[in-house]
Amino acid sequence: MLTQKAWSPYLAGVVIGLLQIPAFLIIETALGASSSYVTVGALFTSWVDPSILTIKYASSHVATTAKNWWQVALVVGVAIGAFLSMKLSGAKRAAVSPVWTRALGTASPAKRYAVAFFGGFIMLFGARLADGCTSGHGLSGMAQLSVGSTVAVAAMFTGAIATAFLLLRRL
Amino acid sequence: MSIFVAILVGVAMGIVFGFALEKSRVFEPGMIVGQMQMKNFIMLKVFLTAVATGAVVLAVLNGFGYVKLAPKPALYAADIIGGLILGAGITLAGACPGTTLAQIGTGYRDALFTLIGGLLGAVAYTYAQPMLSKTFLAQGGGKIIFSDLIGLPYWMAALVLAAVLVAALFALEAWRPWRGEMGRDVDGDLESTGNSPRATARVQPAE
Repeated sequence: MLTQKAWSPYLAGVVIGLLQIPAFLIIETALGASSSYVTVGALFTSWVDPSILTIKYASSHVATTAKNWWQVALVVGVAIGAFLSMKLSGAKRAAVSPVWTRALGTASPAKRYAVAFFGGFIMLFGARLADGCTSGHGLSGMAQLSVGSTVAVAAMFTGAIATAFLLLRRL
Repeated sequence: MSIFVAILVGVAMGIVFGFALEKSRVFEPGMIVGQMQMKNFIMLKVFLTAVATGAVVLAVLNGFGYVKLAPKPALYAADIIGGLILGAGITLAGACPGTTLAQIGTGYRDALFTLIGGLLGAVAYTYAQPMLSKTFLAQGGGKIIFSDLIGLPYWMAALVLAAVLVAALFALEAWRPWRGEMGRDVDGDLESTGNSPRATARVQPAE
């Protein structure tokens, strides 16, 4: 099972959903990912611009609290888990997924890297503005029946689908 | 709780999370962009299954009084504008903030650029936050949940949501069986398998 290349999306979804149990019982928070970018980004920035920590939003995310660093550990664990899963199944990935050649209309890695950088930038700016991402608003907010999270998820899919049809070529 | 324990719990949970993201293939750019172009539905299947499971888990934990809910406050303008920008970013990155790390773990090099862009985006927001918090973007209601609006206990409404999602997932699976959405190299690239009707119609790849 651990060496399979692909699981049913339903099995994987149940596993991800069950992660809410340790999140709520042990850490007393919901599953999320995007605030870890503030924790790490603001910490790095504080080494060159210590004044960033005068912003309460920065200092509260950098503070050595269980929640802040649990989430940083979580996303580091995601990279480790995906690496282990891939090694066990023997899947090999190219440096850039072949779908980008069609989606961007060019095989240039430099152009893909530029799009990835810009995409990452607005992804986290938007996520912090909305106060959550696919995990925090999506997985956790919708499971908690949050009205604001449901609005955010609807906006997320609207922005994503519009961009996919207007800016990218068809896969 | 000590930071040390929190970090250990985080890494352990992250490994499980990353494993599930990799095995489901939902971390693949081909799956995420493919979902947004309605070419495959793996992302929706994983996402809605995880929401339904989380709803059942929280219905039990909250219903029996073991945990308190922690919904985010409803800031409608920020939710809508931020959500739209985040969504555009997800498509261009071919990832979300969590799956970016799964892509790095599996060796996608462009995901490193997504990560650096993401860190800088989070820092840019941090610098802008004191100013933005004085605008309409910080305005909104409290921690509103649907079950309070309709006057049901949370656990009951959460179980109803889970049941509706399970029914929707059965319909989705009947319409689009997941095994047909994997692609030859399990990356959501359906074009190279000949699954897509357009594959036969197009001899040369689009330039």
